[in-house]
Amino acid sequence: MSNDTITVDQLTDWLTRFRDLVTEQVSYLTELDSAIGDADHGSNMTRGMGAVVEKIHASPAGTVDELFKGAGMTLVTSVGGASGPLYGTFFLRIGTTAGPRTSLDAPGLAAALRAGLGGVVARGKAEAGDKTMFDVLSPALAAFDAAVDVSSDLSTAAHAAYFAAQTGRDATRALLARKGRASYLGERSIGHIDPGAASTALLFQALVETLGEE
Amino acid sequence: MIGIAVVSHSPRLAQSAVDLALEMVGAEGPAIAIAAGAGDGVTGTDAIKVAEAITEVSSPDGVLVMMDLGSAVMSAEMALEFLSDADVPVKLTSAPFVEGLMAAVVRAAGGASLDDVEREARGALQAKQTHLDDDDDDELPGPQAGPAAEHSIEVALRNPHGLHARPVAMLVTAVSAFEATVTVANVRSGGLPVPANSPTALLGVGARQGDTISVAAAGRQAREALDAVNALVQRGFGELETPGAAAVPEDCAARPDRERSSEASSGGPIGVSPGLAVGPIVRMPEPLAEPAPAPELTLNERAEAVERIEAAAASVARALMDKANRVSGAAREILEVTSMMATDPGLIGDARARVTDDGHTPERAVWAAVGDITSIFREQGGLLAERIPDLHDVRNRIVAELLGRPAPGLPDRAEPYVLVARDLAPADTALIDPALCRAIVTVEGGPTSHTAILARALGVPAVVAARHALEIREGSVVIVDGTTGMIVVDPTDEQVATAEQESGRVVAFDGTGRTLDGHRVQLLANVASPDSVAAALEANAEGVGLFRTEFCFLDHEEAPDVEEQVAAYRRVFAAFPGQKVIIRTLDAGADKPLAFVTAEDEANPALGIRGYRTAWRSPKLLDSQLQAIAIAAAAEAADVGVMAPMIATVDESIEFVSRCADHGLRTVGVMIETPAAAITALDILQVVDFASLGTNDLAQYTMAADRLAGELALLNDPWQPAVLRMIREACRAGVATGKPVGVCGEAAADPLLAAILVGLGVTSLSMSPRALGGVAELLKSVTVEQCRDAAATVVAASSATVARTTAAALLVRA
Repeated sequence: MSNDTITVDQLTDWLTRFRDLVTEQVSYLTELDSAIGDADHGSNMTRGMGAVVEKIHASPAGTVDELFKGAGMTLVTSVGGASGPLYGTFFLRIGTTAGPRTSLDAPGLAAALRAGLGGVVARGKAEAGDKTMFDVLSPALAAFDAAVDVSSDLSTAAHAAYFAAQTGRDATRALLARKGRASYLGERSIGHIDPGAASTALLFQALVETLGEE
Repeated sequence: MIGIAVVSHSPRLAQSAVDLALEMVGAEGPAIAIAAGAGDGVTGTDAIKVAEAITEVSSPDGVLVMMDLGSAVMSAEMALEFLSDADVPVKLTSAPFVEGLMAAVVRAAGGASLDDVEREARGALQAKQTHLDDDDDDELPGPQAGPAAEHSIEVALRNPHGLHARPVAMLVTAVSAFEATVTVANVRSGGLPVPANSPTALLGVGARQGDTISVAAAGRQAREALDAVNALVQRGFGELETPGAAAVPEDCAARPDRERSSEASSGGPIGVSPGLAVGPIVRMPEPLAEPAPAPELTLNERAEAVERIEAAAASVARALMDKANRVSGAAREILEVTSMMATDPGLIGDARARVTDDGHTPERAVWAAVGDITSIFREQGGLLAERIPDLHDVRNRIVAELLGRPAPGLPDRAEPYVLVARDLAPADTALIDPALCRAIVTVEGGPTSHTAILARALGVPAVVAARHALEIREGSVVIVDGTTGMIVVDPTDEQVATAEQESGRVVAFDGTGRTLDGHRVQLLANVASPDSVAAALEANAEGVGLFRTEFCFLDHEEAPDVEEQVAAYRRVFAAFPGQKVIIRTLDAGADKPLAFVTAEDEANPALGIRGYRTAWRSPKLLDSQLQAIAIAAAAEAADVGVMAPMIATVDESIEFVSRCADHGLRTVGVMIETPAAAITALDILQVVDFASLGTNDLAQYTMAADRLAGELALLNDPWQPAVLRMIREACRAGVATGKPVGVCGEAAADPLLAAILVGLGVTSLSMSPRALGGVAELLKSVTVEQCRDAAATVVAASSATVARTTAAALLVRA
């Protein structure tokens, strides 16, 4: 069965699954972050997404912008670390771009995600190869867009994005960090996967799972 | 005036930086709001909080946003998107967090514009850069030609430390009040004039006491501005007063105030912690400075230099391991890890490379190699950052070894000694083992310095301001009298014998506390567990003024049952038949956490659920305790009183009395440890039978200074006039209601302070048994009238130092 659109309920499910994944993998993310950061990415994301899901389950969103603006604001106040403003901006821009709609089609989601990426770049000033979440988001969205060009099926696009995200994530291992705390480590940051890249890959894994349920 | 928003990962960091900055300007400072930490005590930043902080200090003149690092910058940028009022200019600055904040606060207080404040803040590293000689950026505000000066004066700086931070702030503030452009130059150093509205530039002038500065001014109010500067300089920026001169009799006033001017040339050593001790001098090694640059080693020298590093590191590792083998538990683990750090291949490899490749001397190579590692640790924060002191310790030990100097830090001795140091850091003082360190002598410091306070707490005699102490040969035997400040070097055998006899003398307490004229003051013992009863009995205590019950609960997963408690309480009650025993209900929380009663994750445990407040959460625990006390009291013949810790309101007192009544307990009191209880003591004493002052907490809460923070020791001093006035308030209530008010804090053990407390109206003093003799002796030498007069003078003192020296002058016989 194909998915031409994604509803607010499904997008809520996406965020819930993302929460589940970061929670499940909290120690993996923390381990990654303890190698090249301050060992709080796992707990920060778990806490932040926990707060997001708690909030949307308490008062379910009616529209896409309501959902993502709420999620973004919650992350900003509950994460603490740099992931707060970064993921927060990502979701806020998705919300603003999607507008008060109750569902998105593939081009609509692609445009929203693209705006989210723009927000992350504006906020973090990261470029390709800096060993950040950008190195996952950017190839994932490129793959997503490419898939949307040839098929209206969101599930296909999500799979393509997730595949690219995994590749992007694993490629951060060889990179020298140029942003965030890891950048202080210089050469010593080489050989470790970037924790932000890893959590971003989970975001696409969650999207695949959401759309696979249909 | 602009507002300042301070964004940091850590509320503590932000608050400390703000406190530091506000010290410079006092009440006239700009509005400052802190946005630090994310929700629920999470380290990090929250863009919404930042936006709220900006709004809070919003002013038409604008808001400057100071940030520490990482997410702070991103959250601040994000916050700008949330702001609604586009009319308020907001500026994010890349200024250094601490120095920049200080510069910004001072400039803002002077009414400078947002742009000017921001520029000043951004240039705030200049003083440090100039000092460390790494100033390679001439864009920063700094020396520049002054205006065409219409008027100028030359004045010599009189205050002890010249143009340091505080005088600079006063100068900037004074000058900003006038329509004039003012510059300052240091005549001694021949430096260029710098603008007098730039604190960082003024600090860079480096003018010291005795230096002449040239002050030039142009503009309509040039003359007035110069007059104001001149007045400030002549008054020594308010740093010339010798406190005590007014209140203290002549013989005492001759003692210079060491707190303010350690370079003062007259005046002898000051005894600050009473007692007599004899022992050989061990000098505290001077702290190591970064090794000076040295010429590059020749290629031939490098191989040997590398070997020296390895040998020194191995020797330090061995010494640490030996030390580890002599201790156990956590201390052992720490020493073992530190020992391993000394020979860490990364560290040694790095140092070796610096010698082999760059020709650095071994000591510089080790210094730099450790510096690199610590900067990474510091950026990482958390557990890694906590290891930095250990790394510095290792570095200092290796470098000392390389230089053939003694290892820094407290001397590692197995035999008793007298410690001589220039000054002691609180951290060093805290590690002193009173069993080995017989006395402390410092060149610097004053009667209320950390050293003095901690030495008194440890019961170690101490003398400060002993200017020539470092000239005494290491190993010389000295006699130190911590009461008079006398130091006898190389004493005769006879003198040593007398002193040893004297120091070993425990002034016996005859069991009846009284003044010279027979005014009765009960002298009681503090008892922390049934095991400490023997010491109290041996010291002839008149009873127990504070029986702490925490021992019953510590190391327990759950509350002990009533039976267990009854048995423990009876052991203490049984020792004092017919005598007073005041038992205090569980005092947990803050520095005494207990798994089953105290809250976790309190942002500020000292202001949290502690003392009597734990009974809100665990009422049954209190009831079981009261029941056990009632049973134990009924079974023994002691005169038992019960009191609750940390009472803040009359209602709590009423509630406690009624709970005690439920168990048939009739003599019920409360502890007065909060300013709230002290100032409502009159109402509280109407519902309870007695009160007992806990001076340690009362000082902490009155002075708003965490007891556990060594840096605040000067504030946490019961001699602080504010604390003494709190005590006076409670004592007045005691006199008015005819109910006894005792003291069971640290203050009661200081003979001099004990006499002041008696003068204020305290009816009993409870202390550690070993202090009873000394307190009894002093009380017997003065009349209650003398105590009252001294108390009246002391509560009006201008500082803790003045209070103590005044008391000594009035109460200690020459």
